[in-house]
Amino acid sequence: MVEADRHTNIEIFTYTEVESVEGQPGDFRITLTKKPRYIIEDKCTGCTTCVENCPVLIPDPYNQGLCTSKAVHIYFSLAVPLITYIDEECLYLKEKKCKICEAVCGNQAIDFTQKPERVEIKVGAVVLAPGFEIFNPGLKNDYGYGRLPNVITSLDFERLLSSTGPFEGEIRRPSDGRHPKRIAWVQCVGSRRVTPGDNSYCSAVCCTYTQKQVILAKEHDAELEATIFHNDIRSYGKDFEPYFKRAENLPGVRFIRSYVSLGREIPETNNVTLRYATPDQGVKEEEFDLVVLSVGLNPPADALKLAEKFGLQLEPHGFCRVEPTNPVATNQPGIFVSGAFQGPIDIPESVFGASGASSQCGELLNYRRGKLVKEKKYPEEKDVLGQEPRIGVFVCHCGANIGRVINVPEVVEYVKRLPNVVHAQEQLFSCTTNAAKEIIDMVQEKELNRVIIAACSPRTLEPLFQDTLKEAGLNQYLLEMTNIREHCSWVHAKEKENATEKAKDLIRMSVARTTVLEPLREIELPVNKTALVLGGGIAGMTCALSIARQGHEVHLVEKDSELGGVARRIHYTLDGMDVQSYLSDLRSKVYEHPLIHVHTNSEILEATGYVGNFVTRVKSHRGTAGIKHGATVLAIGSREYTPKEYLYGETDKVLTQLELEERLATQDEGLTGSQTFVMIQCVGCRNEERNYCSRVCCSQAVKNALKIKELNPEADVYILYRDMRTYGFREDYYREASERDVKFIRYEPDRAPRVELVSQGGKEFVRVAVTEEIVGQEFGIDADYLVLSSAVLPAKDAEAVSQLFKVTLGPDGFFKEAHVKLRPVEFSTEGVYLCGTAHFPKHIQEVINQANGAASRVLTLLSHDTVTSSGAICVVDEDKCVACAACMTACVYGAIEFRTVGERKAAMVNPAICKGDGLCNAVCPTGAIQLKHFTDEELLSQIDAAGQEEIEEEMEKAVAAM
Amino acid sequence: MIKVEKSVPLKEKIHQFFKDQGKGKFGDVMVLGGGISGIQASLDLANAGFKVYLVEKSPSLGGKMAQLDKTFPTNDCST
Amino acid sequence: MENLADYKEIVELIKEQGGDLFKRCFQCGLCDTLCPWNKVTTFSMRKIVRQAVFGFTEIESEEIWRCTSCGRCPQHCPRDVRQIDSTIALRRIANEYGVFPTPVQPVKTARGSLVGEGNPLGEERKDRAKWAEGLSVKPFTEEMEFLYFPCCYLCYDPRLKKVAQATVKLLQKAQVDFGILGEKENCCGESIRKTGDEELFKRLARENIKTFVEHGVKKILVSSPHCYHTFKNEYPEFKVNFEVIHISQFLAQLVDEGRLNISKELQKKLTYHDPCYQGRHNNIYDEPREILKGITGAQLYEMPEHRVDSLCCGGGGGRIWMETPKGERFSDLRIEQAMEVGAELLVTSCPYCITNFEDSRINLEATEALEVKDLTELLVELV
Repeated sequence: MVEADRHTNIEIFTYTEVESVEGQPGDFRITLTKKPRYIIEDKCTGCTTCVENCPVLIPDPYNQGLCTSKAVHIYFSLAVPLITYIDEECLYLKEKKCKICEAVCGNQAIDFTQKPERVEIKVGAVVLAPGFEIFNPGLKNDYGYGRLPNVITSLDFERLLSSTGPFEGEIRRPSDGRHPKRIAWVQCVGSRRVTPGDNSYCSAVCCTYTQKQVILAKEHDAELEATIFHNDIRSYGKDFEPYFKRAENLPGVRFIRSYVSLGREIPETNNVTLRYATPDQGVKEEEFDLVVLSVGLNPPADALKLAEKFGLQLEPHGFCRVEPTNPVATNQPGIFVSGAFQGPIDIPESVFGASGASSQCGELLNYRRGKLVKEKKYPEEKDVLGQEPRIGVFVCHCGANIGRVINVPEVVEYVKRLPNVVHAQEQLFSCTTNAAKEIIDMVQEKELNRVIIAACSPRTLEPLFQDTLKEAGLNQYLLEMTNIREHCSWVHAKEKENATEKAKDLIRMSVARTTVLEPLREIELPVNKTALVLGGGIAGMTCALSIARQGHEVHLVEKDSELGGVARRIHYTLDGMDVQSYLSDLRSKVYEHPLIHVHTNSEILEATGYVGNFVTRVKSHRGTAGIKHGATVLAIGSREYTPKEYLYGETDKVLTQLELEERLATQDEGLTGSQTFVMIQCVGCRNEERNYCSRVCCSQAVKNALKIKELNPEADVYILYRDMRTYGFREDYYREASERDVKFIRYEPDRAPRVELVSQGGKEFVRVAVTEEIVGQEFGIDADYLVLSSAVLPAKDAEAVSQLFKVTLGPDGFFKEAHVKLRPVEFSTEGVYLCGTAHFPKHIQEVINQANGAASRVLTLLSHDTVTSSGAICVVDEDKCVACAACMTACVYGAIEFRTVGERKAAMVNPAICKGDGLCNAVCPTGAIQLKHFTDEELLSQIDAAGQEEIEEEMEKAVAAM
Repeated sequence: MIKVEKSVPLKEKIHQFFKDQGKGKFGDVMVLGGGISGIQASLDLANAGFKVYLVEKSPSLGGKMAQLDKTFPTNDCST
Repeated sequence: MENLADYKEIVELIKEQGGDLFKRCFQCGLCDTLCPWNKVTTFSMRKIVRQAVFGFTEIESEEIWRCTSCGRCPQHCPRDVRQIDSTIALRRIANEYGVFPTPVQPVKTARGSLVGEGNPLGEERKDRAKWAEGLSVKPFTEEMEFLYFPCCYLCYDPRLKKVAQATVKLLQKAQVDFGILGEKENCCGESIRKTGDEELFKRLARENIKTFVEHGVKKILVSSPHCYHTFKNEYPEFKVNFEVIHISQFLAQLVDEGRLNISKELQKKLTYHDPCYQGRHNNIYDEPREILKGITGAQLYEMPEHRVDSLCCGGGGGRIWMETPKGERFSDLRIEQAMEVGAELLVTSCPYCITNFEDSRINLEATEALEVKDLTELLVELV
């Protein structure tokens, strides 16, 4: 958020709606209406004096009405912009009374004369990301929401968990503020139901957010009992399955497979009872202190209006209708969609969908790229060498995250007395735009030459604060962050005094280090404008095509003799896409594009270089070539597991889903003439060996079952499953399969189906035995074909590729992205990106979305001429180096090589590759390598300062004793 | 509803673009919605050389994700 | 281990008899949690459904006869399994094979009486209008506005005759133009259909329709929500559309128009029981309450399960004729609920509900504490 706010090329309009749109791709004229905030944005400093004095209490919209706010308030504590607005409940706006805020505002920022303001903007393309609406369970009122105080929604609970929530992060229940000990979560509220007022689709996110809430709630209170009522746990995403297991295995956590109905509210306690069904013990009614409704996602409230203004078609559920082959494209050229308006999707899909949409804009508007943007200008850097250290310390409350535990004012007073500290102050959120301005002002006013931010981990926000220093005219390496949140307030939440003391210690140590910090130079590296995409499946081709359409040369390298990857074995999708014709179309577009060089039958011999300047040696029948490129995309795909289970390979009566699909596509008569098909799900995954869900197989089984029924309506199809994971709109097809009489039978892994080959009356078939738990009976099914939904495995060469390109694999053997939610298409290794099923199994539409997303991220690199490398890197003191090569073995990036110095060899660090992880200087026997920004001197002075306090105390005591 | 105008060849588009450049509120892309998806789209576009107008109907950026406490599985801050 | 191939024929039979929608079930168990049987014993609709899907239905067991067609589970079923219609398919098969477990045996008697006399109560057809003697109720003729169709129970049952009598007194007071068809009418057939005897239902319905058409009936006023339901929602299967009005709706209208004036006070605590076929099946909730709220002095209390969540009395789905052992009667629970909210008078508007509640009142020795009245019985004392 803050990054967007501070970006020179992004202009933000909040409290603003679109009034009308006209024009065409490349030239849209859009009229916006800015609603009156009744606050002059430039004058408001976010000081909240007006909020304190406002007499009108309103239910806080940000906190789901669980607590109150004032009629004039800041939307939430980290709002961007961090200024107030006046709600329509204001006394003056309603009754022309009051105006206290106007009187108390010291900046004359209140302006009741504001009217809606029209702004016309001209743009070449539009990205619609209006999000979603939360399903409102109060309308149908099956569960007493709005009537019973202790029945809340999952979003309400999210606010209860939050430190900026109504109880500052304590889980208290609405009726009496007590800490609930027994919490029930009710899944699929508003989802997977055909009843009027509900949605028939699966909302796709609730199972996993519920598990997160359970885990967090258990962290808040280990004694708490959590019960989750569900009908299928849909842990289909990357890392979801282990997360589910983690939640399931916590003590006091029960997952119960039953939808529930409301029993009653117990008048004395306001506790609520729920009734649930068990297969063997009938219906039980159980009492809970708090009931959380896991509500689903609705289309955005203004979907219809948006559709009208932009001329969009909506799909039947009210989300945006998108092209099956391009999920960010709407029916209007130049208008793209991303996020949950595409349908119910999770955060990673929202993020790479956003990148995908941006890539589509880039293809459309490539002719004008770079024409309107401004580079950010920084003031000239002050030379601080030789100056006495003048340190400013900013201690962040992080809302209540830090402030609730640590006595921040006390810490500030303490810090002021430390040597070299010339300024210390507290801040509510140091990461806000206003706080940044305050820091810059202080640097000028107090002539600070070093800054300490005592707040959170540097992992997320260090780049932001470094930027603040640059804006203040200081070298960004003169910043130190002291982590008093993760390392202090969060882990010592129950020992407030000790936590405060520890915060003082940590900051004192930081001050010691900061005193000796040195300004460092960063290197500008040129960027080669070419990309290399490894893997010629749908992901690789889509990504290559999008990069090429944005004007960059692409080398597409495929180990096979033709392009297409595993999609060559897929013929149709649930929503009716003809995969083979799409594939051949894509293939010819790739071959025809002048900027794409296709290398088939090719393997990678060596990959060297660094962001912007890679060299990859590729071997094909044409020989070996060294390709120079600035960005790398790994899209090496995945493969189908070859089952060892269920007689696979022993008889031609047992197939995998892909084998079945290939034969269905040719309408193989042996198959279409058969009567009975049994499919077994989760073959080769969701087990000890592979603790993940392959995501696509449930939908694949439903797809093929529907195909069988289409070709032969009389056929009997049985799907034996553990949880049906037809997430999102795919739920509709699951229901359609039931409607077509496909029979679904659930099995538990410890009672997996048993199969045997049987010959009877000259016919051979597979007899499948499975126990149906509701009927309480073991069934035998004589199948003409047994179809195994076998797992999706990482590509065979994933391991080798990961070593060549120095990227990491996750525990499941798929590529590990930089951040599962927020950076889903790039690696931690700079300049290397990923997409497609090499990342994790996914459906074709999702692959296309992600491939376009990766292209967008590639463009953020290739559209620049240079890239900056960190100054915090290793340097070798050649005099001390004995050329033992220990450092070269330690370095995982291959950043160190020997060079000849006079008569002998010495190690040299390539500054462009070095990531500054310090592994080399830890192993160096002679201390020849130093990691800049973390030099021995800097670290040792920090460590020395740790014990300083005690020594001083001892001395004071000694003096007193004398 | 968008008035559909007949499509214009790229050359004319470029011509028009240079004519309009510098006049009023003139940008490359409008992103509607300041949630995680809108912000990501804006940043990608802005970092790839486009000028972006980010339009949000509520008083602050953030969207629904800003209301979440932490996110799966890293428990990172949402905001 | 049972081989599914051996059960295919049963599956086909169930489908033929109207149980095709069992296939939709995804086993969430919601029906079981809502079913009133699980307040008194253990019963699984989900199991009935899944057994039917695979042909494992135990046709001779009592379980397939339990459903009172109260409508709670189909109303919430996320997959629209339509448990009521689907379960009738199983009962049709039981009918076909003539298997009736002991508690269901009385259905046979009711059926015999329906075939012979047009009512399920073993009474003679010629006595059908006896309740109206001395009330100067006219036989229906074409020029009359309303046919009043009182339901077999109101015609013959001594307790319920009072309801029919109260009804006509109210109608006469409001100068409503109505008549009755007496022995020319048959049982509406709603409940016998639910026991799986489709043929008899059709016969009763056709005869009634013939009579109505011959007499030029356009608007039918009914006392029983079961008659209401079948006339309104099931007779159209025979391509006829009568305007059907439930007495509670009509009375509310009469009061509203000032044709009935509730002049007397009633210092009592009341509660209203929504009959399944009036409420859940036909969405009539407000009219009876409007009437009760208009009574000076009366205080209306709602029971915890009311309106869409109303607790069934146990009499629907043909259960009115079957034996329900003590301790398993929903009506006992309902009487207790009424007393728990402090009601002195339980008002409702369905003959089955009244029959069951009167029984429970006696069994629970609550005759002193709680009265049970039809809406018309209460109103006739106050106008």
